Amino acid sequence: MRKRRFVVFGTALLAVLAAVFAAAAVSPGSSHREAPLSALDPTGDDTDVYAFKAPDAPNSLTLVANWIPFEDPAGGPNFYRFDDRATYYLNVDNTGDGAYDIRYRFHFRTSVGDPNSFLYAAPTVDSIDSPNLNVKQRYSVVREDWSGGHLVRENRLARDVPVAPDNVGPKTIPNYGAVANQAITDISGGSKVFAGQRDDPFFVDLGATFDGLTIRNGTGNAGGGKDDLAGYGVHSIVLQVPINRVTRDRKPVAAQDAPNAVVGVWASTERRELQASNDTGHSTSNEVQVSRLGNPLVNEVIIPLGLKDKFNRTPPQNDAANFGTFVLNPQLAKLLNVLYPGLDVPETNRTDIVTALLTGIPGLTRIGSNPAAADTLKINLGVPPAANPKRFGVIAGDTAGFPNGRRLTDDVVDIEERVVGGELVGHHLPLGDGVDRNDKPFLSSFPYLAAPDAGPDSTLKRNEPTHPPVPAPPDQ
Amino acid sequence: MTFARHNPVLTLAAVAVVAFAAAFAALTLANRSSSPPAGPPALADGTAPARSTDARIRQLQAEVHAAPKEAGGWALLGDAYLQKVRETGDASFYTRADGVLKRALALSPDDVDALVGAGTLALARHDFATGLRYGEAARRAAPSLVRPLGVIVDAQVELGRYREAARTLNRMVDLKPNLASYARVSYFRELRGDLGGALEAMRYAVSAGGGTPESVAYVQTLLGNLELALGHTAAARLAYGQALAGVPRYVPASVGLARVEAGERNYAPAIRRLRAAVGRLPLPEYVVALGETELAAGRTAAARRDLALVGAEERLLQANGVNTDVELALFEANHGDPARGVDLARRAWAAAPSVRSADALGWSLTRAGNSAAGLRWARRSLRLGSADPTFLYHAGMTARAAGRTALGRRLLRRALARNPRFSPLYAPRARAALR
Repeated sequence: MRKRRFVVFGTALLAVLAAVFAAAAVSPGSSHREAPLSALDPTGDDTDVYAFKAPDAPNSLTLVANWIPFEDPAGGPNFYRFDDRATYYLNVDNTGDGAYDIRYRFHFRTSVGDPNSFLYAAPTVDSIDSPNLNVKQRYSVVREDWSGGHLVRENRLARDVPVAPDNVGPKTIPNYGAVANQAITDISGGSKVFAGQRDDPFFVDLGATFDGLTIRNGTGNAGGGKDDLAGYGVHSIVLQVPINRVTRDRKPVAAQDAPNAVVGVWASTERRELQASNDTGHSTSNEVQVSRLGNPLVNEVIIPLGLKDKFNRTPPQNDAANFGTFVLNPQLAKLLNVLYPGLDVPETNRTDIVTALLTGIPGLTRIGSNPAAADTLKINLGVPPAANPKRFGVIAGDTAGFPNGRRLTDDVVDIEERVVGGELVGHHLPLGDGVDRNDKPFLSSFPYLAAPDAGPDSTLKRNEPTHPPVPAPPDQ
Repeated sequence: MTFARHNPVLTLAAVAVVAFAAAFAALTLANRSSSPPAGPPALADGTAPARSTDARIRQLQAEVHAAPKEAGGWALLGDAYLQKVRETGDASFYTRADGVLKRALALSPDDVDALVGAGTLALARHDFATGLRYGEAARRAAPSLVRPLGVIVDAQVELGRYREAARTLNRMVDLKPNLASYARVSYFRELRGDLGGALEAMRYAVSAGGGTPESVAYVQTLLGNLELALGHTAAARLAYGQALAGVPRYVPASVGLARVEAGERNYAPAIRRLRAAVGRLPLPEYVVALGETELAAGRTAAARRDLALVGAEERLLQANGVNTDVELALFEANHGDPARGVDLARRAWAAAPSVRSADALGWSLTRAGNSAAGLRWARRSLRLGSADPTFLYHAGMTARAAGRTALGRRLLRRALARNPRFSPLYAPRARAALR
């Protein structure tokens, strides 16, 4: 058993470190152009998408999308920002074909007060317009309506509104919360938008893997894990729109079983193509999708290494053809059974996973009767917010949580582990990563995500206290 | 309800839970797109990042010891060794990287990480033909991944296969416009003398970096180099300053600032900076820059002492499999035995017929007294339309020596046009030749 364990850890660690070192060299004295780690693309790759009905705004859909993970609050004097030359999108499919019907398009623009200063900000920044904030980012939001593959309407929702600054520390921005809240922009018709740095709401134990050969006692379903994202920031876009803005008939949703109740959402990033030679006379302005994300961990866990770039550049509507087999026959299930024959995790024909993530659960997250199998995060807008949300969401009987949309508190790592383990087909394994919640409480009002840590007082990572094992099926 | 302790299946499950969690977490992170919290990123500065790379190396060594049949572990250890060279300039890690990457490929000939790692190592050693082979093998192993294309582009460029390189690069940037592909577009445009277009592409790369420290330091330095090539001294200084604000003591940016200062005849601070740079990252090109700045400052004895180190460093690189023919040829042509420079440059051309090799051969021939042949090679070095002032200076001096005075003056004027301070040693010589 010991040997086998090593193999698992070996394989696991390799996968992790492959990501870390996925970069070619700058060779000394020659002219290669690859930056260390630059194959990683933090401003382009979406890390997480959330979709929920907030208790304080039950008639609206709230969307959260994150970029630039692992922002170290004490990592200054570097400060993070969206890519001015990329286009960021929140996409909505309300017809079930996996193609966008509505897109919210975000463009950012950075301005520098004193270009000869390398300072991000100087004391004291007491408002978002403060001249002491040397580097400012502003953005615009445009809503696109699409029909039959054509753009039929564009509406500018916000123009040149401020991005919340990075939390550089209490000396520079003593009242960070108030300054950041000035980045909440009201849009006519009851919508709101926020963009800027936030605490990364995702929580997961990656450290068990980094520790390599030592296994933390109690990791699994009884707490004891280490949240490796605790203390790190991300760049977030939060958009809240009245439900009738996104339904297919532009009407409110009358009930959970109403035909307009379910929409699928995902985030994506596009960047401009450039030609190797600028002087050929046919310089293009084509934009190419470099990243997209719907359900959590699909690209990370389901899509094989060699196809990850393809996943990122293809649209969800083609997922069934491109990637269906990897969802039906997940490599993780196979791996487990090879190593631990007694587990009997079902390996093939996992239509239960296809249903949960791609086609939607009938009566809850299925759009229409015959939707495309597409990796979009589906949410039923007729389900009211739960009075007492459970971190296991639907598998714990709380139908207002993942995979019906995704709330900030939903423990998607544990949920997906249990689903791959066979939870939906009566195969209850008590799986988990030992981290149950985010390190910081979420806000009860818009933009919901917690403020990021300030540089000087940041501590990274957090240990989850142990607790009695959460049984299978989970009830908390 | 807790699960029963004595049910054999569930006991097994309990053991597996941990493994499952680990595998899951690993797969999770494998695609979360940024550096994990394991430590600061890869930087050409031997301080903090080196500690974390050392830690990674130790960890990976333990992993491959525990699971020696896993190709992936060996491949990652190879990458970590390459990282170590980037940070310290210690070429002995090339040899170690070679060993572990070969081991990975013996276990799994189609492992993409190992193939890309081996290609990267070959490129770093300036064995561009081998780099191309590995890059193409990586592309065959994973046809839809973009990463192998970077290895292929770099190899094609250095092998002088510019048309193919343009095709590969266009494919790469169509598939994934990001920092890695934009920076390569910038370089390709620069090679063709399109410095404005190069600057545009590098600004895309900087923007794509989004303020992440490793990107700021690396790409801002390249941006500074382009600004300097265009004679935009203030903009270059600003770009290097941004890089150093992001990563204090980042050696390539520090060298860039020294070049700005040397161009302004501000020799003392330039020499101090270069000496510190050589102390932290002892690359031959930095030693040459130091020696040439000292020569320009009239500190001949110190220059002679420092330039004498170049030969020793080159030998160390060669001992670890690095082909230094082009660099050494130019060094011999300028500061040593030009006839030896000719031999080295011929060998370089035979292995990699690039504009870089042509420039080295042409200049070595001229310095060895054969300016007529030198001029033929100088023309080849400029065939892409290069605006590189060093190429133009070599070509201009060569034409002059070959009796083509008017051509020589034209080329020297072009060398000085964009940046009249392109080198503390050679820019004054170009001006003198024009008088």
